[in-house]
Amino acid sequence: MAATHVLPRPKAYDDTFWKPITLWLTTTDHKLIGIMYMVTGVLSFVIGGIFALVIRLQLSQPNLKVVDPETYNQLISAHGVTMIFFFVTIFLTGIANYMVPIMIGARDMAFPRVNLLGFWLVPVSIILYYSGFFTGGALNAGWTGYAPLTEKAYQSHSLGVDFWAMSIIVWAISGIMASTNFLTTIVALRAPGMKLTRLPLFVWAQISTSILLLVVGAPLAAAMILVEFDRQLGTQFFTTQGRPVLYQHLFWFFGHPEVYIMILPGFGMISEIIPVFARKPIFGYMSMVAALFGIVFLSMTVWAHHMFTVGMNTYVEGFFMLMTMLIAVPTGIKFFNWIATAWWGSIEFTVPMKFVFGFLATFLIGGITGVYLASVPVDTQLHQSYYVVAHLHYVLFGGSVFTIFAGIYYWFPKITGRLLNRTLGEWNFWTLFIGFNGTFLIMHTLGLEGMPRRIATYTNEAWAATNLIITMSSFLIAFSVLLFLINVVRSWNGGEIAGDDPWQANTLEWATTSPPPPYNFERVPPVRSFMPLRDLRESGELEAETQPTPVPTHA
Amino acid sequence: MRVTLRAALWTFGLVLAALLVSSCGIGGLSPIFPTPVSPNGKDIYDTYIGISVPAIIIFIGVEASLLWVVIKYRRSRLPAGYVPPQIHGNNRLEIAWTIAPLIVVLSIVVYSFAELQKDFQPVSASNYTIVVSGHQFGWNYTYPEGFTIHSEGTLAGDVTPFVVPTHRLIRLEFQGTDVIHSWWVPAISGKTDAVPGYDNFSWLKIDTVGKWRGECAELCGVGHATMQIIVQSMDEAAFNSWVYQQRAAQNTAGSPSPS
Repeated sequence: MAATHVLPRPKAYDDTFWKPITLWLTTTDHKLIGIMYMVTGVLSFVIGGIFALVIRLQLSQPNLKVVDPETYNQLISAHGVTMIFFFVTIFLTGIANYMVPIMIGARDMAFPRVNLLGFWLVPVSIILYYSGFFTGGALNAGWTGYAPLTEKAYQSHSLGVDFWAMSIIVWAISGIMASTNFLTTIVALRAPGMKLTRLPLFVWAQISTSILLLVVGAPLAAAMILVEFDRQLGTQFFTTQGRPVLYQHLFWFFGHPEVYIMILPGFGMISEIIPVFARKPIFGYMSMVAALFGIVFLSMTVWAHHMFTVGMNTYVEGFFMLMTMLIAVPTGIKFFNWIATAWWGSIEFTVPMKFVFGFLATFLIGGITGVYLASVPVDTQLHQSYYVVAHLHYVLFGGSVFTIFAGIYYWFPKITGRLLNRTLGEWNFWTLFIGFNGTFLIMHTLGLEGMPRRIATYTNEAWAATNLIITMSSFLIAFSVLLFLINVVRSWNGGEIAGDDPWQANTLEWATTSPPPPYNFERVPPVRSFMPLRDLRESGELEAETQPTPVPTHA
Repeated sequence: MRVTLRAALWTFGLVLAALLVSSCGIGGLSPIFPTPVSPNGKDIYDTYIGISVPAIIIFIGVEASLLWVVIKYRRSRLPAGYVPPQIHGNNRLEIAWTIAPLIVVLSIVVYSFAELQKDFQPVSASNYTIVVSGHQFGWNYTYPEGFTIHSEGTLAGDVTPFVVPTHRLIRLEFQGTDVIHSWWVPAISGKTDAVPGYDNFSWLKIDTVGKWRGECAELCGVGHATMQIIVQSMDEAAFNSWVYQQRAAQNTAGSPSPS
């Protein structure tokens, strides 16, 4: 046994970002595809953020004319579509694409070429959407695109809605491909010993997410196809003469589960990161998994809570209110289990852990305001107001974006082989935390005072001061994201070398090199619990595992 | 030193958050909704306050336990060599924090549903129905006396007021003629959508003389922000003379635009 022998680093997979373009274009390696998903997501985040800053400038004072109302409507729509479809969902697909096969000890996804096609549909979808801007104006009816405002009678001047509908159809197909691939991979390609009860919770979260997207992606595409029929073939599904509310049912049957598609992988990351930095196993593994599936089921039965003002039967409204409130229960279980995991722990507040606690502190507010919104009578006041905008940013920004940052700071060393700079990371966290709360906390009161969302401007002087504070805070968020981007570029080029396992983590991705070789593992380590790496570390087998074995043994 | 500074930052941030959230919950510093003038708005207001009681307790409880974890269990404050207990779960605890939130949300559901049945059923006790019709970009109010007030949208904040009599239960019937609009005056009650294809209902009953502002709450096109609403209430005598004037004006001018 040559103790000094070091594995040679595979040449094409070194830790630099700049690889031959032909490799990027043709690779079926889930890790490179994952990186491309994530880079696409971060670029979309920047673009969507720029839209948001223009929106905030427009609203910073009453009666401003930074942009005209038509442009404003296009900007709010593009902000929503970009952030939801092209940033959060895409980024999370990317991080799962990278991590899920390694975490279950597989060599790649089950269908590498479907993975390749699924990814390249994403830029197609994005380009389709933005093409709208060059054909007389992109979608201007909000990211939800309610009919009949999207119908030809009210939109004849542009093709923006058509490009949006096409874009979403392509996006849905891509999402269905990715979901099928994840489910097959997790069912079929687990390493020996990796029973379902030993799956990392991030993988369980990805199973739940994939089931959701598989179920609701098709109705979304169907809704978009019907919109296109109305616009181009003269049908009357959602027109003023048709049934506009039917569109809302179809859209929200996708739209509400989409919220969970954007948060469940984040829940998974939180469940991975807390045990590592608290040095305690996750509290209540089985109830965490059960809660995930409770959320999956319930999230498909709550869609009409977005429609409490359209005039439904009160018993139907009561049903959707009940189901919506019930979601608080599995979410609560997860929340309490996370706190219990950290309780009595020995917590190291690294940057990822800071983002985890930032998430817990802010997501709670989003959860509680969600209960107000679920109550039908109260919702008739809060619906379509800035209260809802504040609520959805607490769950999507305080929720998804904080978990995404936690995930990036946690897994960046694995992906690039280098640690993100800690000082910049601390600045990133604190400016984001303060900027985020400064932006969205007082936004609740604007909604309570009667400011509707999606208005291009307002005359009410009473809203001026609050809006100005919000705009200033939103630029603090932009500054924070700038720090993050600087950190990523600097650290990727010359950050501190991470080593295989900088955090003393629990799961298999840290058992291989950073970045992992194309085949992920020289030899897949034995899996004896849901914390296989920790088992190896504690039983002293770890040193032997990282050494190359002359004759690979196939267990 | 660094650690205490950060703990202070956390405390400061969370206390501030608690203050802000509780103040908009109780209705102290920041307003909840504007003080409602119609009974259905008042009931919504009360429901909001009712939900706030468990919401604030849970908010403070959970944030406090997070703060406790952050302060108490950070590694730098623990004795060197502290090994955390390796607990994998506790069935009793897990059942407890499944059942407890379940009871809380179910009571909120029952409470809200009672209010829903009380104020959101179609009213039959009213013999005075005003038809509110939304279009791009403005509102038409058709009175049972047979005249229509056209309130076209403007950003100047001086739209034609929607005049209602005090002390009378008024049924509102909402119609949409092009895209979906939503009629919302927060000081009166919640919003109701004006959807093309079917009629929606709401009601109001105002006992004080005054003016209240509202806006269209459903994105309806470039003029969305201009679809402002002013509701003005008049006592019976003033309202009757106002009705008389409107009928006289519309009889001489003819019906301006059928809609």
